[in-house]
Amino acid sequence: MPTDNPFQDPLRFERQVPECVVVIFGANGDLTRRKLMPALYRLAYDRRLSAGFAVVGISRTPLSDDQFRENMLDAVKRFSEDTTFDADVWRTFAEGLFYVAGDINDAGLYQRLAARLAEIESARHTGGSVMFYLSTQPSQYASAAQGLGAAGLGKGQGWRRLVVEKPFGHGLSSARELSGSLHEVFDESDVYRIDHYLGKETVQNILAFRFGNGIFEPLWNRRYVEHVQITAAESIGVEGRGAYYQEAGALADMIQNHLLQVMATIAMEPSASFRSTAVRDERSKLLRSIRPMTPEEIRYDSVPGQYGPARIGGQDVPGFLQEPGVRPDSQTDTYAAATFFVENWRWAGVPFYVRTGKRLPKRVTEIAIQFKPAPLAIFGAGDGDRSPNLLIVRIQPEEGISLKFLSKRPGSGMDLRPVSMDFNYGSSFGERSPSAYETLLLDAMTGDATLYTRQDMVEASWSVVEPIQNVWRETRFDFPNYDAGSWGPAAAEEMLARRGHAWRRP
Amino acid sequence: MTPTVDPERVLRELAGLWVSAGKAGDAEEGATHAGVLRACTMTLVVAEEDDRDWPRLGETIAALMPEHPARAILIRLTGAGPRALSSRVFSQCWMPFGQHRQICCEQVEIAVSDAALADLPSVVRPLAVPDLPFILWCRSPRLAGMAEFDALAARAGKTIVDSQGLPLGGVARMAARGTLVGDLAWTRITRWRETLSQVFENRHNLARLGTLTDLSVAHSAPMANTAAYMAAWIANALPRLKISMAPDSGCDSLRVTLSGGGFRVELERHENRLVVTVDGLPRCANLPLLNDYSQMREELGIVRRDPVFDAALARALQLAYPSV
Repeated sequence: MPTDNPFQDPLRFERQVPECVVVIFGANGDLTRRKLMPALYRLAYDRRLSAGFAVVGISRTPLSDDQFRENMLDAVKRFSEDTTFDADVWRTFAEGLFYVAGDINDAGLYQRLAARLAEIESARHTGGSVMFYLSTQPSQYASAAQGLGAAGLGKGQGWRRLVVEKPFGHGLSSARELSGSLHEVFDESDVYRIDHYLGKETVQNILAFRFGNGIFEPLWNRRYVEHVQITAAESIGVEGRGAYYQEAGALADMIQNHLLQVMATIAMEPSASFRSTAVRDERSKLLRSIRPMTPEEIRYDSVPGQYGPARIGGQDVPGFLQEPGVRPDSQTDTYAAATFFVENWRWAGVPFYVRTGKRLPKRVTEIAIQFKPAPLAIFGAGDGDRSPNLLIVRIQPEEGISLKFLSKRPGSGMDLRPVSMDFNYGSSFGERSPSAYETLLLDAMTGDATLYTRQDMVEASWSVVEPIQNVWRETRFDFPNYDAGSWGPAAAEEMLARRGHAWRRP
Repeated sequence: MTPTVDPERVLRELAGLWVSAGKAGDAEEGATHAGVLRACTMTLVVAEEDDRDWPRLGETIAALMPEHPARAILIRLTGAGPRALSSRVFSQCWMPFGQHRQICCEQVEIAVSDAALADLPSVVRPLAVPDLPFILWCRSPRLAGMAEFDALAARAGKTIVDSQGLPLGGVARMAARGTLVGDLAWTRITRWRETLSQVFENRHNLARLGTLTDLSVAHSAPMANTAAYMAAWIANALPRLKISMAPDSGCDSLRVTLSGGGFRVELERHENRLVVTVDGLPRCANLPLLNDYSQMREELGIVRRDPVFDAALARALQLAYPSV
């Protein structure tokens, strides 16, 4: 019996998903409708899915397979952003959609699921490989994993993988507790903690940029880098999710996972290979090298913020405390900024300024690496602009990389001006970039965990963030401390100014 | 006076083009000094007959530029008649959505009659961008059969032709010279091949691969070389198959059937859909629009040896010329 497909042509063929079933817990939820199903449909449209590929949706609402297909059809039509809807492709894709109704805490659900998976395996030859995707409340992760384990679904003829969404705990001990529950059924290597930031093309391109080119890496250290700024700004507020958001806050919702992962990618050491374990080992090592702050340092090097009401573009915008579902005395941070230091030889003494916030002037996520000035200033103050060299990695909305450097303005005299050398994903590669969920789902189904977060990374991140959280909880802040539509609290500007730096205005 | 093209003058014109484009960009953007961004990843030489659809070719080149920015040298073959050789330079620019600065590529158009073809390589060679790939896309079967073509192709790191208008032997001769060769007749079936390959990603189907005994490829006359490639590629993967090639009606039809041991896999195109039927169970796949742009986009992305194509070409030759 042949074990390898003799028709493979890796030079020209796209990466394919092996035969498998994806089981989605929370199949009627927002994430499934907005992200997961459009991403899976797009993979079908791009011919990435195997013929027998199937999805089993699980939720409490009783639905037939056909009703579930109708719901998903509506979701795909509404939420596929740049995909042409093709009725024929949908028809064959929809034949592989199934539904099982039930409560996650009910053991009977897992028995019915097991029976359904056996039927699908027999009819569609899916090889016994199943990916369980927990698109539910985090409080249900442990119950779902244990239900799967008790029904014998954690192991099978093919591979079994578990994908979980953030948050991975709400502190170090709860993160460990959650992992402990998952590990009772699934090995750590089969647990895929999704961080959709890592699925973005530019975040992946950081690896290509740093380790595929020889010219940047020699500059990538304390000798040449003055400081690094990581910004994730949102122009929107909590958009009706006030009740949820006030339990999380910007620090836990963004910095603990997304932004520390981005920081780890930008600052990690080169891995020995591009294998998943090697890359994740280096990312993890970097996270463990971030110095946890003392309470005194936290007061000096971190700034929480909360937006107040303002008028933007002629429209009144409510403050966080006026948002529905938010307690009037809420101390939740809708803005968080912190200065981190990495304790290794490469980065010792280089500040990494990280900020995120809601209701900032624009939606932008970027990393700016500011380089030190030339060691000898041969040009005088009258010779024009003295802007520093900047390398900017834009993650959203327009993915790309820019290098800013000084150039002589044409003409007599030495008049320097900054110029920008831009690489724009959209213009340099005319093809469509896959969405983060397409990338991450494809990776998980093909067993590539490079862009997924590992338990040791989660713990390392909490070790950095939890002390800040604790100090902030013990402190009564005078919120709101920034207007909606501004770049955040004045204290965040002061945090950089103390070291002679200033936030960029992206 | 004998018409000539001085490559040095063309290069000066190209340099001048950037100065004027930069000034125009600054003027448009006022004080922002937006300028233009020059993009170049290769030299792309395209040879085409004068009487063909040049506006359409222009659209294809323009569509390729955002993904494969190049110094494009377009050679307009004016055919018989008095000796003629002339050139003009221009830029191809586009403004990325939401950006303030145009991205521009260079284009040089050289019109050449058959009588001046021998001079063409000496004009084109100095115009190649240093240190970047040089790719020749020959759209003229007539030129591909001429001695002057060899001199031009000798500089190219990769030569792309379409054997739909050429004998496969001609493609094989180019490959035998050691340069990389791309054949759009092969590129045309990439998505077909991928779909067939996907059938055997399923372990159940893979386990039955050994039971297949027959391969039938039905094709219309213009698709002969494409069909030969398809049959050759399958035969390379499954050497023991009995192969039959059969003519079919229609202008560009192709139907592939693998069968044996009670197992049957069929691939057939219906308009822009590819239907793969495994043991009677059909599955429809969206087939991306096949045109010069989509095929060149794929070929320009492969500037290295393609062992699967090399093997398929060698086997296709045996199928096309069994007595040789």
